[in-house]
Amino acid sequence: MRISNKFRQRIFRGKPEDTLPKKIHHKRIYILPTKRGWVFLASLLLMLVVSINYALSLGYALCFLLTGLFAATLIETYKNLAGIGIDSIQSKNVFAGDKAEFNIEMTSGVSSRHDIEVFTADATGVCSIDANAKSYCHLVVDAQKRGSLALGRLTLKSRYPLGLWYTWCYLHTPAAAIVYPKPESNPPPLPSSATDNDGDKNTQERSGDVAGLRNYQEGDSPSHIAWKSVARGQGLLVKMFEDNQLGGEVMLSQQATNHIEVESQLARLCAWVLEAENTQTHYAMSLSDSQLELNIGEVHKKRALESLALHGLAT
Amino acid sequence: MIALLRSGKPRKMEINTRSIDAMAVMLLLTQLPHVFYLPIWVSFSGIGLTLLKWRSIRLDKATTLNWILTSRLIVVLALSCGLLVKAYYGYFIGRDPCVAFLFLLVACKFAESRKSSDATTLLCLSGFLLLTQYFYSQNMLSALLTIPSVIALGCALSVLTERTPRALSLHRRLVSKLLIQGLPIAALLFILFPRLPGPIWSLPDDSSATIGLSDSMSPGEIGNLSQSDEVAFRVEFNGEPPEASELYWRGPVLSNFDGKNWTINPWADSGRIESGGAREAISYTVTLEPHNKKWLFALEQAASLPDASESRTAKNALKAVISSDKQITSRSMISKVTRYKQTSLLRDRYTPTKAPGALDLHLANKNPKTREFAETLHNETSSNVDYVNDVLEWFNTQPYSYTLQPSLLGDNPVDEFMFQTQNGFCGHYASAFVVMMRSVGIPARVVTGYLGGEMNGDYMIVRQSEAHAWAEVYLQGQWVRVDPTAAVAPSRVNLGLAEALPNDSRVPMLAKAGSGWIKRASLRWDSINHGWQRMIVNFNDDTQSRFWKNIGMPDPKLWQLMVILMLLATSWCLWVLRPTKLSALSLTEDEKTFRVYCRYLNDADIKRAAHETCAQLTEKAIQQLPEHKDLIGRIGTSLDKLRFEQTSKKQKQMLRTQLKRDLRKLAIITAREKTQIFAKKAKTKLIAATS
Repeated sequence: MRISNKFRQRIFRGKPEDTLPKKIHHKRIYILPTKRGWVFLASLLLMLVVSINYALSLGYALCFLLTGLFAATLIETYKNLAGIGIDSIQSKNVFAGDKAEFNIEMTSGVSSRHDIEVFTADATGVCSIDANAKSYCHLVVDAQKRGSLALGRLTLKSRYPLGLWYTWCYLHTPAAAIVYPKPESNPPPLPSSATDNDGDKNTQERSGDVAGLRNYQEGDSPSHIAWKSVARGQGLLVKMFEDNQLGGEVMLSQQATNHIEVESQLARLCAWVLEAENTQTHYAMSLSDSQLELNIGEVHKKRALESLALHGLAT
Repeated sequence: MIALLRSGKPRKMEINTRSIDAMAVMLLLTQLPHVFYLPIWVSFSGIGLTLLKWRSIRLDKATTLNWILTSRLIVVLALSCGLLVKAYYGYFIGRDPCVAFLFLLVACKFAESRKSSDATTLLCLSGFLLLTQYFYSQNMLSALLTIPSVIALGCALSVLTERTPRALSLHRRLVSKLLIQGLPIAALLFILFPRLPGPIWSLPDDSSATIGLSDSMSPGEIGNLSQSDEVAFRVEFNGEPPEASELYWRGPVLSNFDGKNWTINPWADSGRIESGGAREAISYTVTLEPHNKKWLFALEQAASLPDASESRTAKNALKAVISSDKQITSRSMISKVTRYKQTSLLRDRYTPTKAPGALDLHLANKNPKTREFAETLHNETSSNVDYVNDVLEWFNTQPYSYTLQPSLLGDNPVDEFMFQTQNGFCGHYASAFVVMMRSVGIPARVVTGYLGGEMNGDYMIVRQSEAHAWAEVYLQGQWVRVDPTAAVAPSRVNLGLAEALPNDSRVPMLAKAGSGWIKRASLRWDSINHGWQRMIVNFNDDTQSRFWKNIGMPDPKLWQLMVILMLLATSWCLWVLRPTKLSALSLTEDEKTFRVYCRYLNDADIKRAAHETCAQLTEKAIQQLPEHKDLIGRIGTSLDKLRFEQTSKKQKQMLRTQLKRDLRKLAIITAREKTQIFAKKAKTKLIAATS
C-alpha cells in the first residue's frame, strides 16, 4: 500500500511535497505526441504504405525524412523543459475577493526556453526565458475565501518546437498565499475604551477632547452617543475623540464587533485593523485561538490579518 | 520576457495571419512540382484558390471574397471539383484522378481553414500531396524540389505552435536544424527498412499512357515516337560498346498482319534461348524506364534471359520469358524503373527448332498490286537470297524517300506506299518488305525495337526517338535480319535519325548530332540522373540484401536488426542531446580569440599560469620577445578592451579585424620561435648523447 502511494506520488505529485529550488530533470518529465502529432504519424504511415505499394524510393525517403523530423522534435521538445530551475514561488497576501498573484521564479539554464505554459487548475501563464537568464511567470488566482490559498499542483507544459509532441511535468510545492477576510465596507469606528474589557483605558479616552460628532452606526457604544445632541433633537450623533484618531490604544476582540456570525466578526475586525493602522492607533487583538500584544506597524498588521485569515481553520 | 497573462483555459485556437502566411508558402511550394504533371485547369484552379485565400486574410471580413470562402461554399466547391475530375478522366478510382482530386482538395481545405485543427488536416494532406509527385518523376530535380517544401512544412508547424511571435529566420533555422538531426534516422530507416516486393494493391487504370513501343504497328506510329526525346532505357556495357550498325535492340515481334496493321502473334508459345555459336558475346546492364508494357529489350540475338541484378530470392526477381519468336517479355508490367543483366551474341544466326508457321506467311486479301509485283520479281530471280537483294535494290533505286512526314495511306496501305506515295519511314519499309516476302512464300515478320543509342560517359542512352522497325526473313532454315530502311537511308542505320533527316524539324533536339551547349548540358544532367537512379531510386530489396552482404552480415535476423536499431537510436539520442552539455562550455568569440592568443604564446614557450591575467601574460611575452613589443602589446590591450570593456559594436568590429591581422603575424613569429626552440632542444640532446 505504501509503495503504491509512493508510486502515485512519484507519477502524479498529488501531495505538496516538493521543495524549492528544484531543477526539472528527466525523472519527472513526461512526453506524448499531441493530437496533431498522432495525425502526423498516421499520415506518415499512409505515405509509407503508398511508397511500398508503388515502390517509390523517393517516397520512402520523404517518409523517413519526416520520421526523422518527428524523432528530432521529440528530443527538442524534451530539451525545452529539461533543466529549467524553479527557484522560488512568491506570493502576496490579498483580501478575499481580490486576485492572488503567484510569482514563479524560473531560471533557464544553458539553453533558452520557449513558450512554456505554466498552469494550475485555476490559472494559466506562458513564459519564455532566454539562455542563462531568469524570468518570472505570473499566475493570478481568484481569492474567494479567507484562509490559506494553496497554489496547488503546478504543471509546466511545452509543445515547442513543432507542436507534434507535448511534454509536461508536475511540481507540487506547499506554496500558498494567505487570503485575509474581506474587510467590512463602512465599518463602525474603532471600539473605544467604553468596551467592558478595559476600564482604565475608558477613563483615559474619555478625558480626551471631543473632536467632533458623526452619525450613529450600528454597534457604536452607547456611551459614545452625544445624548445632549439627541436631546436637542439633532438625531443620534456619536462623539469622536481626538485620541481615537491618532496614537491611541485599542483592544480588538470578537465580542467587540457586536456580531454573532464569525465571518462578519472577522470582516469587521479586519476593517478595524486597517483603520487602526491608518489612524496610527496601537491595537491588541484577541481571538478565540490567538492573542496579539498591543502594537502597531506593518509586521504587526500582517500578523493580525494573518491570524484573522486563519482563524478557526486547522493549519 | 514575461509573456501573456491569461486566465482560464485557452479557447479553441483560431489561426492567425502569420500561420496562414506560412501555410500559404508551404502549399504553393508543394503545389509547384505538380504543375508539370497535372492538367492545366487543375493546377490553375488549385494554385488560384490558394492565392485567393492568401489575399482574403488581408481583407476585411465583410468582403465578397471572404464570403465566398466560407466552409459551406467550399464543400460545394470540393464536390464539384470531384465531379469535374471524374468527367475529365472518365474514371475516379485511379492514380491520376486521385492525385488531381487531392491537389484540388488541399487547396479547398486551405481556403476554408480557420481553426488550428483545420491546419493539422491541411499539413498532413499536403505532406501526402508532396509524395504523390513521385508517381510521375523520381529524378533528382523532384527530390531537390521537395526540400524547400519540407522546410516550409516544418516552418508552418513551428509558426502554428508559437505563442509569442518569433522571427521567420529563427523558424527556418530551427526546422533546418531538426531536419539535419533527423537525417541519420532517415538514412538508417532508408537503408534498413525492409522492402516488400510487388504492390499490395493496384488501382485500375494505373497504367497511364506512357510513351513507348506498342504491341501493334499501323502506318505512322513509330513516326510519332521518333519525335520524342524521352529516354527508353540506359545501358552500361561490360567492355566496349558494339558498333552503331549492330545496335538493334529487339522489342515486340509483329507477325500478325490484317492487310493494314501489324500485331504481335497472340498465340506465340514460349520458346527458349537458342544460339548458333557466334563469336562476339557481349554483356551489359539495362536500366529500363517504366513503359507499362511487358517488353524487355536486348541486343540481337539474346544469349540469356534478363537477370534482375543479383536478386536475393526468386520471388523478387524479374520473371522474364522468351517466346518462340524470340521476343523477351516480363511476366508483369514494367511499371517502375527496372535493371537487368543481359548477354547477347552479335551477328548470330541460329537454326530454330520450331519452323515458321502459317502466320508468318499470312497475307490478308489486300494489297493485290504488291503481291503481283512480288511474284513477277521473284520469277526473274534464281534464289530467295537473290530475291531479297533485288527487293532491297528496288527500294534503293526507285525514288523512295525517307521522311517522318509520310503521306496518308488508305485501305491498301502497302500498295499505295509502294507505287504511289513512295515516302515513309522504317515502319513503311519494313511492312512493305515483309509483304513482298510473304507474297512469294518466304516466311517473314516485322520486328520493332530501337536502333542505335548514344554514349554518355560510361553508359549509353537509348531514346524513344531511336524506335525502329525492321524485317526478319526465314532463309535457308534460319531467321535473317534484313533492314529495308538501310536500302533507302543507310545513314539511319549507321549514324542515327538526325543524320538521315538533316533538315527535318520534327527530329527532336536531343536526337540531333552536334554539340550545342543545350545538348551537352542535357547529357550531363542525364548522367547525374542516371547515377541518382542507380543509387537512390533503384534502392530496393536487392540493393538492401547486397548492403547486408557487404557489411558481412548476410540475411540478418529480426532480433539482430532490432539490436542494431536500438544501438544506433541510442547513439543518435546521445548525439542530439550532446549540444546541451557542450554549450555550457561554449565561449564567446573574444574568449576564443584569447585562447588562440594563449596557444600561440605557448608555442613560443611562454606559458600562461592559471592565475595570470591577459595583461600579465602580455607583459611576460614582451619580456621574452622584446623585438615584437608593439605587436604583442597591441594584442594584449585590444583583447582586454574586447573582453571587459563596453564599447560600441562598430568599434568592437574594428578591434576584431585588427586583432585578427595581428594574431596572424604573431602566429608566424611564434612558429619561428617554436622551430628554433625545437632545434635548440635537439642540439642539447645530441650533445648530451655524444658526451
